[in-house]
Amino acid sequence: MKINPSFAEKLLMRFIKEEFSKLNFKKGILGLSGGLDSSVCALLAAKALGPKYIIGLIMPYKDSFGRDVKDAEDFACHLGISFRSIDISPMVDPYFAKYPTNNRILRGNKMARERMSILYDVSARERALVLGTSNKTELLLGYGTIHGDMACAINPMGDLYKTQIRQLARYMKIPDKILRKKPTAGLWAGQTDEGELGLTYTKIDRILYQLVDLKKTKKEVISSGFQKRDVEKIITLIKGSEFKRKMSPIPKISDRTVGHNFLFPFDWDR
Amino acid sequence: MKVALAQICPKLGDIRKNFHMHIDCIQKAKRKKADLLIFPELSLTGYTLKDMVEEVALQPRTNPLFKQFKTLSRNISFVVGFVEEKEKGLFLNSAAFFSQGKILHIHRKVFLPTYGMFEELKFFGQGINFTSFPTPFGKAGMMICYDFLHFGSSYLLFVGGSELIIVISAAPGRGFVDDASYASSRMWELMGEAISRFSQTFVIYCNRVGYEDGKSFAGGSFIYNPGGQLIAKSLYVDEDFLVKKIDLEDIRRFRKKRPYRRDEKPEVICEALKRIIENYED
Repeated sequence: MKINPSFAEKLLMRFIKEEFSKLNFKKGILGLSGGLDSSVCALLAAKALGPKYIIGLIMPYKDSFGRDVKDAEDFACHLGISFRSIDISPMVDPYFAKYPTNNRILRGNKMARERMSILYDVSARERALVLGTSNKTELLLGYGTIHGDMACAINPMGDLYKTQIRQLARYMKIPDKILRKKPTAGLWAGQTDEGELGLTYTKIDRILYQLVDLKKTKKEVISSGFQKRDVEKIITLIKGSEFKRKMSPIPKISDRTVGHNFLFPFDWDR
Repeated sequence: MKVALAQICPKLGDIRKNFHMHIDCIQKAKRKKADLLIFPELSLTGYTLKDMVEEVALQPRTNPLFKQFKTLSRNISFVVGFVEEKEKGLFLNSAAFFSQGKILHIHRKVFLPTYGMFEELKFFGQGINFTSFPTPFGKAGMMICYDFLHFGSSYLLFVGGSELIIVISAAPGRGFVDDASYASSRMWELMGEAISRFSQTFVIYCNRVGYEDGKSFAGGSFIYNPGGQLIAKSLYVDEDFLVKKIDLEDIRRFRKKRPYRRDEKPEVICEALKRIIENYED
């Protein structure tokens, strides 16, 4: 699970540079939460493209997460990137006034999609490319909102587990206050990923690494010292979220069908 | 003789642009007095072609770009990777050895990786041979990427009398190790070391760099001498243009010391293989 952070940094910076040049974009845009992943992504992008080409959007709901907003602003200043704060409550509240719910997941998803919508709007106004900040742990567990925080043009850190991003962040000298924060999807106040998942990232990543990277069977992972319950929970989450990692299925009728045998690279004509 | 390795990043699907990139490299190699220049696998087209394969395929005998390559090869030899339309509708992942104003040999990739992240068999037909052919520098044999990871391919070139084994590659990097390279780069180097040492040939490996659909081609091109010693190494991940003088006399030196080739028994291997194949179960 150990990465060589200087090599990882080099690979990801090269990736960002190359993708922007292929897609013919100079500017990048991303949501800044004041948390670890978006901070690392902003730093990578600023180093790869130059801070003046990066826009950070800070999108709080009312005055919740005040400390995170402050951290995001401080970090954006520290990087020298441009940033802007947009409160999403004037967009979200009228909807929930009309269609009320106390379901925190529904509310959180709606907010994640509102942020996506703003990111894409500003990206078009600014001719900037949306950088995703999903990590491998989230992608495998499906711990993200489809068409929300999972939406992006390129996703530089999608092959690094959360704990590997921490390694990279330490190497890249991300401020301690951000490094020490408890990871949260920010769906509601006081929420933490580890609390919600019921497992620590260290444990999750070790289990995922064995299942996914080493292709070990459930039995092998359990006998290496993990609780059956934890391993099964992770397997269920992986299986249940495949739809978030795929294009939606299309029923085949013709001889040549999108998603079946109309096969071109993402980099087609780039 | 001087060998040059063009560790380039071809533009996916853009033959025109890649052709000019090749011309630039050939001019550069000429300026540096190289005798032989190697390009990576599918250097003329890029790797992740999928359904674009048929759009970028060409016929070596009639293609106008190849005509220009032939002219350019009057005073330098070079190996180019391309998609070949061998017969109507049959597309192959091929390597052409240009020299003395003509194509001396075309190798068609035999082992097409189709597992995990690879899907070559979906889009390409398979070659059926590993040939050692005469060049101005002695007999040579070519392989394309995954061909080299099947050690039987190297054996055929060794028995066929190759003194230079040329491997062109588009190998994506994967896996972390402690040094500043992918774990998979070590796999290629290990094979290069073993094959050069036991076939007592120069092993010349040219990989590409750059990203295609998120795959990062790992670079790290190299040359091993016939004693299994690494004598030249390109950068990992980044573009590079390496020129190295090699001494063909090394082949004689190492083969005199340890007569692996003299003592080889291809007939025994061939008969034993036949017996194994005859006894295959359904």
